[in-house]
Amino acid sequence: MTLVLNIRDLQLAFKSWSGTSEVLHGISLTIGKGERVALVGESGSGKSVTARIVLGLLQELRGVQISGSVEFQGQDLGAMPDRERRALRGTAMSMIFQDPTSSLNPVFKIAPQFQEVLARVTPGISMSATRVRATDLLREVAIAEPERVLDSYPFQLSGGMNQRVMIAMALANRPALLLADEPGTALDVTVQAQTLDLMRALVTDHGTSVLFISHNLGVVREFADRTYVIYRGNIVEEGPTRDVFENPGHPYTRALMAAQPKITGGGLPDLVEGDRHYLEPRFVHEGVA
Amino acid sequence: MKRMTTILLANPLSLLGVLLVGLVVLLAVFAPLIAPFPDHRGAVVDFANFNKPPGWPHLMGTDVVGRDLFSRILYAYRISLILGVVVLAIAVPIGVTLGLMAGYLGGWWEYGLMRLTDVFLSIPPLVLAISIMGVLEPTLMNGMLAVTVMWWPWYTRLVYNITRGEKVEGYVLAAEVIGASKTHIMFREILPNCVPAVVTKMTLDLGFVILIVSSLSFLGLGVQPPTPDLGSMVAEGAKYLPDSWWLSVFPGLAILIAVFGFNLIGDGLRDILGADR
Amino acid sequence: MSLLSLRQLGKSFQTGAHEVRALQDVTLDVADGECLAIVGESGSGKSTLANLVLGLFPPTTGAVEFDGAELPVVRTLAHRRSIQLVQQNPASALNPRRSVGASLQLALDVHGIGTSDTRPARVAELLRDVGLPEDLARRSPTSLSGGQRQRVAIARALACESRLVVLDEPTSALDVLVQAQVLRLLADLRARHNLTYLFITHDLAVVRNIATRVAVFSQGRMVELAETETIFTAPQDPYTRRLISAVPVITEEEKTMRNGLSQS
Repeated sequence: MTLVLNIRDLQLAFKSWSGTSEVLHGISLTIGKGERVALVGESGSGKSVTARIVLGLLQELRGVQISGSVEFQGQDLGAMPDRERRALRGTAMSMIFQDPTSSLNPVFKIAPQFQEVLARVTPGISMSATRVRATDLLREVAIAEPERVLDSYPFQLSGGMNQRVMIAMALANRPALLLADEPGTALDVTVQAQTLDLMRALVTDHGTSVLFISHNLGVVREFADRTYVIYRGNIVEEGPTRDVFENPGHPYTRALMAAQPKITGGGLPDLVEGDRHYLEPRFVHEGVA
Repeated sequence: MKRMTTILLANPLSLLGVLLVGLVVLLAVFAPLIAPFPDHRGAVVDFANFNKPPGWPHLMGTDVVGRDLFSRILYAYRISLILGVVVLAIAVPIGVTLGLMAGYLGGWWEYGLMRLTDVFLSIPPLVLAISIMGVLEPTLMNGMLAVTVMWWPWYTRLVYNITRGEKVEGYVLAAEVIGASKTHIMFREILPNCVPAVVTKMTLDLGFVILIVSSLSFLGLGVQPPTPDLGSMVAEGAKYLPDSWWLSVFPGLAILIAVFGFNLIGDGLRDILGADR
Repeated sequence: MSLLSLRQLGKSFQTGAHEVRALQDVTLDVADGECLAIVGESGSGKSTLANLVLGLFPPTTGAVEFDGAELPVVRTLAHRRSIQLVQQNPASALNPRRSVGASLQLALDVHGIGTSDTRPARVAELLRDVGLPEDLARRSPTSLSGGQRQRVAIARALACESRLVVLDEPTSALDVLVQAQVLRLLADLRARHNLTYLFITHDLAVVRNIATRVAVFSQGRMVELAETETIFTAPQDPYTRRLISAVPVITEEEKTMRNGLSQS
């Protein structure tokens, strides 16, 4: 099976005047072609920095120490010049952020923002060609009036609509890998459910691989094929989503599952924050690719 | 606080600022002990030694009536610092209070106070000071008054902007729900959050006040002779350039050192306190 | 008997030329000691309802009654004392430049609870009550975790010895493990101090496990009000059904239940 993303023993530390703080302690993660993989963890676990390393956003900062390897479609991102790595962003890999409304530029209408996205692959694309292509892309994300949306400013559209525009833009250049950082968290549940359904259908159609980063267990359960659980910069459990959720092997994963309130009731569990068992070695489910 | 000091001193530029300002303050405070000719701060004439270039015992030379320049600069520092501190001690509480009221109370308070502030901010500070001094007598007291009048609106504007941001924070809502008074919310809840920015601005402003007072004195509207003032010394000395260069260069350097030092500390504080608004 | 009653409560806001009806004609009784969940999405009017109960702005129509008496538009200190609030964002709810102890003592000072000698002891007691060590009083909130801060915010609401606490999304900014602890604490406190909760949230899974009754809001109206069990097993309003079937769930049991609802 060809790997779109292959992260091996990735370590990350931030150096500052007060010393070095280690954020990732050697995490390994793979994503195959067309696979939807979730990285689930609490705030500060290191899940978002992982996505930023894959996008190459951290490598260029001062005081950042990275070791281990990140291979994207067989190419080592660490060995790549900054310029080439930047060329991948928005073309071969793209990202969807948590808050759709603030991810779009409020002073431009949607159409020119689309033009900018498409010009990454087709430099100098005309506005009329942009509109034709963007109309198709917006129809894909079930936007009924693409023309109206293209002529709107982001603040004139609802949060759910902006999120769809973001998804359409992220998939516009048919990336091999889509990084989704807490998508839909800022949206209402009913809108969130629709958005995720739509996103799943689209990535399946295009064979796009997804790294789905979230703290929301329910959303991960519904979206991902495989799940990695991250705790304090360590992957503590990995496996097919169904196995991880129905038969969690690691004490930390078990605590997470128990802590999630259920709509079927059953009361509130008693839990200890930062239990020492959470640091036990990684648990790997059988049947991992 | 201790941690803050450590960070401030770890930055080479801030450290330089602290050293410069420390030097200026020490020179000013201990002027009577350090100055080789303490009585030269007043109306003394020593024609035997007039217009001497730097040397011994007159480290920075003497002026046209034979007074020791170094001694006069030390005393000028004293007056500049006192002036700066007094101006800020009056302008800051007024400016901060009005800023808190405009920002927190809103409505007509906000409208009235901020328009008043705009009026003051739209007049060039030096012009305002000159006109005040023109109407009143050009004395030290009036100099301070003039500078104070043009200084408070900057603090009103600064604190107003911060207060508008803090007003929507949860802790303000919490205090309102508890039933705390408006005075409590403004001065005990919001004000502490303005302190970093205000302190930073005060440090920067100490340098600027010294500069403004010097400018006024340069124009003959500030500190009056024979009291030593850096600005009037530069002005006086400028007449004898380039031959008696020390007459204006040393007072000029003295202004530079003080203003530069305060600015370096201010920049350092702004970085640490995150008061960049 | 009901502790809080909303009588035909409504609120409109004037935005530019047109009027936005944030809340319309809500009549609702909250019984003494119950935990009533107010559920809805953005624009449902649930936050407006909370602000009206807290007296942060006056209603356009109707009235709020507390303990049998109508609350005035301008609340007195005694009124403020009897209804308290826990907010969503623990990061902003505590003043970063005042110590935890000072934030807690504010309520005691404002309402003259105890004397200046007894107040520090009361602050320590409040911290213990929410499961925090007493020496936290001297610390700055910036050195606390999100969960600890939210506990302090809860302790502050308890300081007034109010009978009604409005909980505005109290756990939605917290991680799932911390959320579980804070929910447990809230449930314990309600039992210990006989508190009444108005629990405002969009998270139905949380509601299921803590509320006694649920009021579902949509576009400024209350569309359904029922016992928690009834809302989840036999929801009447189509919107309620849609809301429940959109909840992301993690177990097969939940999926079965959810699918059952969306088909009915």
